[in-house]
Amino acid sequence: MIGALGLLAGVLLGLFLQPDVPFWMEPYLPIAVVAALDAAFGALRAYLDGIFDDKVFVVSFISNVVIAALIVYLGDQLGVGGQLSTGVIVVLGIRIFSNVAAIRRHLFHA
Amino acid sequence: MADPRYVGLLDHITATSLDEDYAHVAEKRAAERGSGVDDPSRPGRRRNLHSASIVALLLLGLLLTVAGVQTAKSKPVQQASRASLVAQAKDRRDQLDVARAQVLRLRKEVNRAQAARLKATQAGTAANDELENLGLLTGAAAATGPGVKIVVDDNPDAVTDRQTVQDLDLQILANGLWNAGAEAVSINGQRLTNLTAIRLAGKAITVNLRSLSRPYTVTAIGDPDQLPARFVESAAGTWWLNLKSVYGLQFAMTREDQLTVPAAPPLTLRHAHRLGTGR
Repeated sequence: MIGALGLLAGVLLGLFLQPDVPFWMEPYLPIAVVAALDAAFGALRAYLDGIFDDKVFVVSFISNVVIAALIVYLGDQLGVGGQLSTGVIVVLGIRIFSNVAAIRRHLFHA
Repeated sequence: MADPRYVGLLDHITATSLDEDYAHVAEKRAAERGSGVDDPSRPGRRRNLHSASIVALLLLGLLLTVAGVQTAKSKPVQQASRASLVAQAKDRRDQLDVARAQVLRLRKEVNRAQAARLKATQAGTAANDELENLGLLTGAAAATGPGVKIVVDDNPDAVTDRQTVQDLDLQILANGLWNAGAEAVSINGQRLTNLTAIRLAGKAITVNLRSLSRPYTVTAIGDPDQLPARFVESAAGTWWLNLKSVYGLQFAMTREDQLTVPAAPPLTLRHAHRLGTGR
């Protein structure tokens, strides 16, 4: 519940402030968002599994975002940024899907 | 790390989609609880970390919104820059058209002035006549006279490329007309000279580097009594007869008493000089 409020507060803050993203950060933002989503869905699944842990969530959240951005940055430097972003998106996307499937099983007992 | 049961990469990703750390920590905690270790600091620590995860969720919301807002913001900018590029291109094209028209008008003026000056003297009149003759031969001057008009077009139900008029067909047609005794030829108003190329550029046939659109009207000035017959008897005539009967291309030749063939775009010789002028 409090977590949902935190999420809502973040959304409102973003809408209210509308911060300008620095130019160098723009390519990494979408990837960071997908990585953060993956961490959040993972946390929700862990919560429903009854093994949620704050520390693990925070660490996985930060490391997911940083590593995703870092991989894309590295790819950009090597000239394979596009392909690496695709790879990261595919892996994170599959993880999100299977986590959401697990969450669904929990919620609907199906 | 990888469980040997999950051989494929995708299987592996699906199976480990939940961070393994959650399971590790849960196991550790269960072990601690099982061994009866009582940790009085845990509740406080947990509350702290709870606020940390709320901050993380807040960050997630912020990231989501910022990314969405950024994408929405940059879209009109991209569209606007595209629109302004299109407008610029259109502007420049209009300018070019205006400049071209001006060039044409000025050239006519120059020709008129030149003729007027030359006609003032007897030697000049002779030079002017020679100039006009040469212009007629080289295509620098418009020509008029009797001849034939040929309109060719694609097969109306063209499916293959061969059922459309190609650059080769127009080349053969033009060569056939020259062979049959034509003295001045134009295709869709483009005068054929010794520097004219009829070729395909992309989807369009270009003559004098201008792209033409079908139907193609070929105007040839020459003896109207002999030109059609000699053309039909030539190899070019056979080629076109074949195109017409086998591939359904349209070909219509009419005799005309009065035809006009426009002047070619002016030639600018930059490197060729008359023999003996020494330059």
